[in-house]
Amino acid sequence: MNYKGIIEGLLFVYGDEGLDIKTICEIVEIDENIATTTIKQLYNDYENNDRGIHLEFLGNKFKLTTKPEHDVFYKKIVSIEQNTSLSQSALETLAIIAYNGPITRNQIDNIRGVNSSYVIRKLLLKGLITESGRSEEPGRPKMYNITPKFLDHFGLGSIKDLPKIEINTETEDIDTNLFNSKYKEDI
Amino acid sequence: MSYKVEIPEFEGPLDLLLHLIKQENIDIKEIEIDKITKQYLDYINIMEELNLNIASEYLIMAAELIEIKSASLLPKQQIEDDEFEEDPKQSLINRLLEYEQYKKISDNFKELEEYRQKFFMKEPSNLAYLEVNDNSNSNEDLELLLQAFYKFIEQKKLDKPLKTKITNKEYSIEKRCVEIKHLLKNKSVLTFNELFNIRTKQYVVITFLAILSMTKNQEIELKQDENFKNIIIKEKDGKNEL
Repeated sequence: MNYKGIIEGLLFVYGDEGLDIKTICEIVEIDENIATTTIKQLYNDYENNDRGIHLEFLGNKFKLTTKPEHDVFYKKIVSIEQNTSLSQSALETLAIIAYNGPITRNQIDNIRGVNSSYVIRKLLLKGLITESGRSEEPGRPKMYNITPKFLDHFGLGSIKDLPKIEINTETEDIDTNLFNSKYKEDI
Repeated sequence: MSYKVEIPEFEGPLDLLLHLIKQENIDIKEIEIDKITKQYLDYINIMEELNLNIASEYLIMAAELIEIKSASLLPKQQIEDDEFEEDPKQSLINRLLEYEQYKKISDNFKELEEYRQKFFMKEPSNLAYLEVNDNSNSNEDLELLLQAFYKFIEQKKLDKPLKTKITNKEYSIEKRCVEIKHLLKNKSVLTFNELFNIRTKQYVVITFLAILSMTKNQEIELKQDENFKNIIIKEKDGKNEL
């Protein structure tokens, strides 16, 4: 049985929804090793110059996409280019959530120095972030984290692919401050 | 003399401070508070002159800067102060450093986003028409629905004789009062719900009115420990003999 063809077809059918390795194994009824090597073969096939399809790992799923170098041709199809880029404040907020999530709105506000509720609402609507539980802090505020859609939006495969930064230990500072303040209250 | 002021948009007071620091070409760690405070306030004033809305966050930062500045003017006392208390200037620097980091990284995200917009995907193929109505499955559902419906009918049947009996009877508040008194004689404590065992409109209304009028006449006492808890009905003390 030619698994490569089957997986290729499956990826085509699933489109931008994408498939994770587990689902591929379940549908094709093969083990993960075979699936992984087949996907690698498929990827290499597509890398050939004479192919217009590209296999990409986006938001924890395999997806078939067009090739970035062909974008000039696709852009000819549309008359008005829609601007789907995010605003500076959205990018900032996303960056903070990506590296610190789950994080409360208050913590985001503290880092940005401005109120972020509007941005957060917009990002929630766009599905780039999601509520992920509540903090143990007083008032049990909602916490936010990034979604697979976020990863897809920035062309990232998984959280591991986030650009590396040395994260300032600010969040730790908040924790120790909280610890101290609680301690003082107890006295 | 007219002059043109070009004001870039800032994401907030920290962004503005970073901009001012960058203009001065200095390291964040080496900021001079009085210089930066002056520039910051100048900027706020310009914004005011231009009738721009100044978000409250900017004013808070202005206040913080002035506070740090004034603190730095005072002679330093108690050097070995509480070691947990952070130097406000240092904490501002830390905030700026942290914010700068995210601002920088958001440029990275911008690039990633731009690159990502160069390739496209198709929507998942619509295979809905392939879905066959699984008969066994829907039968099961139908069965369940029927069962539920029969159950409902059974319950309705149980309700019915009671209903017809009661609605035919004419109830009066006085009669119900006597009944409740009898019940209390036997049981001394009743819950509110116990009195509404027959759920017809008339019965419920009469019972409710009976309870109200008995309470008003101080014949019974109503008690509720907590919101939404059962109301407990007791005979009022001292009225036993009457």
